[in-house]
Amino acid sequence: MRNYEIMFIVNPSVAEEEIDKIDTQIEGVVTSGGGAIEKIEKMGKRRLAYEIDKHREGYYVLFVIAANGDIVKECERRLRVMDPVIKYLTVRTDDEARRLEKIRNYRQKRAERRNTGAKAAPAQSIEEAMQ
Amino acid sequence: MKSVKEKRPAGQKQYYRRKKVCKFCVERIDVINYKDVKLLSQFVPERAKIMPRRISGVCSRHQRQLNDAIKKARNIALLPFATE
Repeated sequence: MRNYEIMFIVNPSVAEEEIDKIDTQIEGVVTSGGGAIEKIEKMGKRRLAYEIDKHREGYYVLFVIAANGDIVKECERRLRVMDPVIKYLTVRTDDEARRLEKIRNYRQKRAERRNTGAKAAPAQSIEEAMQ
Repeated sequence: MKSVKEKRPAGQKQYYRRKKVCKFCVERIDVINYKDVKLLSQFVPERAKIMPRRISGVCSRHQRQLNDAIKKARNIALLPFATE
C-alpha cells in the first residue's frame, strides 16, 4: 500500500451533483480494490493558470488515498474517460512523508543531544575548578 | 592572475553584497508542496519561468524540490507554463 494524492479538475459549468457522482465513482474504485480513502477535499472553483480546452476556470477536487498501483491505474483510466474531467494529476506522497519523518527525528535527536550536552558541560567545569 | 588578486581588496570595499540565504533552510520548510501556490509563486517571476538559484539564493537541495513542485503545479494548472 502506498499513499497517493489524486487531484483533478472538473468542468465548472457542470452541476454539483455531477461532481458528486464522479467523486463516488472514484471512491468506489478505490474501496472496492482494497484501498482506503483518507480525505476528499473539494477545493472549489479556481482560475486556471492557463487555458485547457477553452476553459479558463475549473473545479478542483483532491483525493488522498492509500492504495496500490492497480487502483491508481484504474482511477486514472476512469478520469480519462469521463467527459467533465478536464485534467488530473497523481502524486505519490509516502516516500516524501518518510523523508520528512527522518528529518524530524534527526532534528529531535540533535536537540536532545544539545540539551544534555549543555547540562553536562557546566558540571565538568565545576569539577575542573575543584581540582 | 596575480595582479587581479591583488586588486581585489580595494574592489571589495566599494560595494557590499548581502549574503543570500536559502528561504527554505532558514524558515525550516521541509516539504515544498505543489499545492502551495502562494509559496511557489514567489519563485516564478512574471514570465513564469523558474527563478534561478543564483538570484533567489535557494540551496541546491531545496531548488531541486522546488523545481519538482513547480512542475507538478504547472501540470495541474495551478501555475502557468508561460505568460503571454
